[in-house]
Amino acid sequence: MSRHQAPDELLLDYAAGALPEGPALAVSIHLALDAASRRTVERLQAVGGALLESEQGPAFDEFALEQVLAKLDGVAVDAVAAPPSPPPGFEWAPAPLVPFLGTNPRWHKAIGGFENVPIRIPGDDHRVELLRLMPGHGLPQHRHAGNEYTIVMQGGFTDTTGNYGVGDFAVGPGPQDHEPIADPGDPCIAMIVLERPIVLTGPWGRWFNPLVKRGWL
Amino acid sequence: MTPDEAADLIQAIATRQDRASFAVLFRFYGPRVKAFLMRGGSDSETAQEVAQEALIMVWRKAASFDRARASAATWIYTIARNKRIDLLRRTGRPQIETEDWLTVYAPEGEDANKSVLAGQTYARVKELMAGLSDDQLVVIRKAFFEDKTHTAIAEELRLPLGTVKSRIRLALGRLREKLEKDAEE
Repeated sequence: MSRHQAPDELLLDYAAGALPEGPALAVSIHLALDAASRRTVERLQAVGGALLESEQGPAFDEFALEQVLAKLDGVAVDAVAAPPSPPPGFEWAPAPLVPFLGTNPRWHKAIGGFENVPIRIPGDDHRVELLRLMPGHGLPQHRHAGNEYTIVMQGGFTDTTGNYGVGDFAVGPGPQDHEPIADPGDPCIAMIVLERPIVLTGPWGRWFNPLVKRGWL
Repeated sequence: MTPDEAADLIQAIATRQDRASFAVLFRFYGPRVKAFLMRGGSDSETAQEVAQEALIMVWRKAASFDRARASAATWIYTIARNKRIDLLRRTGRPQIETEDWLTVYAPEGEDANKSVLAGQTYARVKELMAGLSDDQLVVIRKAFFEDKTHTAIAEELRLPLGTVKSRIRLALGRLREKLEKDAEE
């Protein structure tokens, strides 16, 4: 079990269906990997069920039922689908991520010594990407201008706020600039969801910031 | 309708496409889904459409219902929630499956008895909600009925974000504590 859970308020946003797609995808990956958060969301959905059941509305007229029954003539009960299998090289990917990977995802080398795979979610304005960091390597020092959500899927990283392993969920902005460094062992693979471009603060930061704003980093 | 009765009806749809069982579920849950949506601000016509579409999904997805993990009411809630989102997104936004980012995947073989969605626990959740403070309930009801994030709720109620967060954490802490105590007994 992981040690950094998504905060309750974010799990409530998720269970109520209020989170935009990018952050919701990050939470959904966290749930696939973290039993305690999964239980919390199941409880929250049970709250939704209780609210639904305690509603009372006027009965539908029988014509509505007849219409729906007529529609069902052409609708079979779906067979239970097996979870989709991840593309080659992405076997570590938890089930909720798989539909977003496409058939042939590829790691791109990014400036700063890490690799990334951009994740496109139609209709969502967050910047969503997978990052892969070799052990001992870090991301350029940065601070957050907007909310940032990170979910670790392989390996782990450490920054000034603590150590994060598989299934752990981190929420920015942190109190200060932070510089995550990948832990020894397997390369660290995480998905990062950014509300607005990050601001680089290291010595090279001001050169890179225009690139970040254009989404080139 | 008890959780077991509702679960039997869903199972009858899954195993033999039983239309009579569907009709019972439709008469019971259709008006509830509609009223739920109207409480969140949907107009009557839209709410009726979403309610009917949601019940059609109940038919289609009946085979994936697992009564050990979910009460019928909870499962139907998640289906109605996804339908409402689909409908909002249909207007002006490109479509991807809402289910893709709102499905809770549990690992194969996870002990379903530990799950809190089963009928018994669900009844307990209902009971425990009566014990929440009005302040906590306001926030939770807004989230579910109006589909608002905690940030949006804080803005609307003109409350500091920290206040809304701590209400949510207190409410959930209480549910968690009581349910875990039940499980130990």
